[in-house]
Amino acid sequence: MSKNARVIKYVFVLPAIIYLILLTIYPLIYSLKISVTTLNIARPYPPQYIGLSNFVELLKDSIFVTAMKNTFFLTVLSICAEFILGFIIARFFFMGANLKLKGVGLLRTIYMLPMMVTPLVFGLIWLYIFNPTLGVANYLLSLLGFPPISWFGSTNIALYSIVLINVWEWTPFMMLLCLAGLSTIPPELFEVARIDGAGWHQSIAFIELPLVRRVILIGLMIRIMDNFRLFDLVYVTTGGGPGSSTETLSMFTYRQSFMFFNVGYGAAASIIILILGIILAQILMKSVWGKEEYA
Amino acid sequence: MRKREIKTTLLYVVLILITFLSISPLIWIFLTAFKIRREIFAIPPVWIPKLPTLNNFISIFTGGFSRTPFIYNSIIISLSTTLLAMIIATMAAYGFAKFRVPRSKDIEFWILSTRMMPPIAVVIPLFLLFRNVGLLDTKRGLIMVYIAFNLPFAVWMMSIFFRQLPREIEEAAVIDGCSTFSLLRHISLPLVAPGLAVVAIFTFYFTWNELLLALILTGRAAKTFPVSISEFRGVVNIRWGPMAASSIVHIAPVIVITFLLQKYIIAGLTLGAIKK
Repeated sequence: MSKNARVIKYVFVLPAIIYLILLTIYPLIYSLKISVTTLNIARPYPPQYIGLSNFVELLKDSIFVTAMKNTFFLTVLSICAEFILGFIIARFFFMGANLKLKGVGLLRTIYMLPMMVTPLVFGLIWLYIFNPTLGVANYLLSLLGFPPISWFGSTNIALYSIVLINVWEWTPFMMLLCLAGLSTIPPELFEVARIDGAGWHQSIAFIELPLVRRVILIGLMIRIMDNFRLFDLVYVTTGGGPGSSTETLSMFTYRQSFMFFNVGYGAAASIIILILGIILAQILMKSVWGKEEYA
Repeated sequence: MRKREIKTTLLYVVLILITFLSISPLIWIFLTAFKIRREIFAIPPVWIPKLPTLNNFISIFTGGFSRTPFIYNSIIISLSTTLLAMIIATMAAYGFAKFRVPRSKDIEFWILSTRMMPPIAVVIPLFLLFRNVGLLDTKRGLIMVYIAFNLPFAVWMMSIFFRQLPREIEEAAVIDGCSTFSLLRHISLPLVAPGLAVVAIFTFYFTWNELLLALILTGRAAKTFPVSISEFRGVVNIRWGPMAASSIVHIAPVIVITFLLQKYIIAGLTLGAIKK
């Protein structure tokens, strides 16, 4: 390789690398520096160095622990529901595509619209639907003879309401991935299985699920990370309440840093989130691509 | 043959029901946007507006509550981010795909890991840094941050597309005396146009929809459309009509793009795991 080519490759690659170092690595180092201080941007006096006190405080902070539990709970519940529903719906669309039904492609595009809408707007829509006095949800329940539900007002229910909205918006995502996976399976495989007398449940267990494994894993990975940093939906519907029943990690950190201005404490929380996130991302990415063949 | 017809009809019914259920919240907010106040508050609900009105839309484009400047900000920020992220990412991806860069696999893996990073983890230091250098509440500050958040996916996606290009085409061009840059511009780029489309769509979606970073890093001057929509929530009596109209204005371009470019969206969602 000529000397010229050696220079050129860095001209191509370096801008992106330098950019990411400046806007991700550098802020993280800065964040570490803040997290060991009492920095509060609403107070005039200079911050003091307090070592790891913020981290110790956080692990004793019952709201932070609740935020962690809530994030974990809503991630697991949402993803299970999204995957099961998404796979079932994908099979219906797959059947439609195999029978060459007219308009199935159009229906699929319309079906996936909720996931293209920002969770902020989707959350606001549900704020209206779940409104205790003028919401359509309780009206429909009353038609069926059920008592009204305090969707966002009750500490027992609010987190489930968040999960419901979350699943409603993102099931199309899992469905699209499952459908994309299903349509890569060679049709002969289904044919052979049918001739051998395999029922639909055997076809799912031995052909469909194993062959769409990679796409499913990618879907799960993306959705786990999405839920791990869930903010918009909670911010716009419950704001973390009532009490701290729908508090998530992002919501907690946002509130500490930009409503109470406890930036040092918030930075410490964000570092814990980041470390958890890195561990999670590494596990998920390795499980999808293995160590060698991820490109 | 009879059995097949029944099966087809049943399948249609199921698919239409699923689709209708899925988008019913969107239909509901669409109908609400055209209702007068009395109908919005009616229980039992007025399903189809009897006295359809455009007042909710007029109120978000004119007068004291006008959202026009924020919509303008969002358009500028989204388009600039998309364009710049595409340029930087395409160069990097081309570099990784075509030259031997030491530890390139590890670097690519690191770049993709940064996509997983929760925005809340970097927004505090970015806020403080921006405050010190006067980038807080500026469009260019937000654009800089958005580019950083979109680069990982863009580099990843583009390098998948570049690696699929047959080497022979480029080798022939080099023999004909093509320089590296004109090779990229005239030969490789047109061939990876679908990849560029995927990257453009996803970067646009991200910036157009993003709330958390904009909420913290902008105030009055550079406030984005999503931040202004989120403010409907802060008050005791939510103005549902204008809220619905703003939502419709915000999601309209997204829906149009989805219909026009759906095949690129699916390619992007599967992270290139399914190659056509």
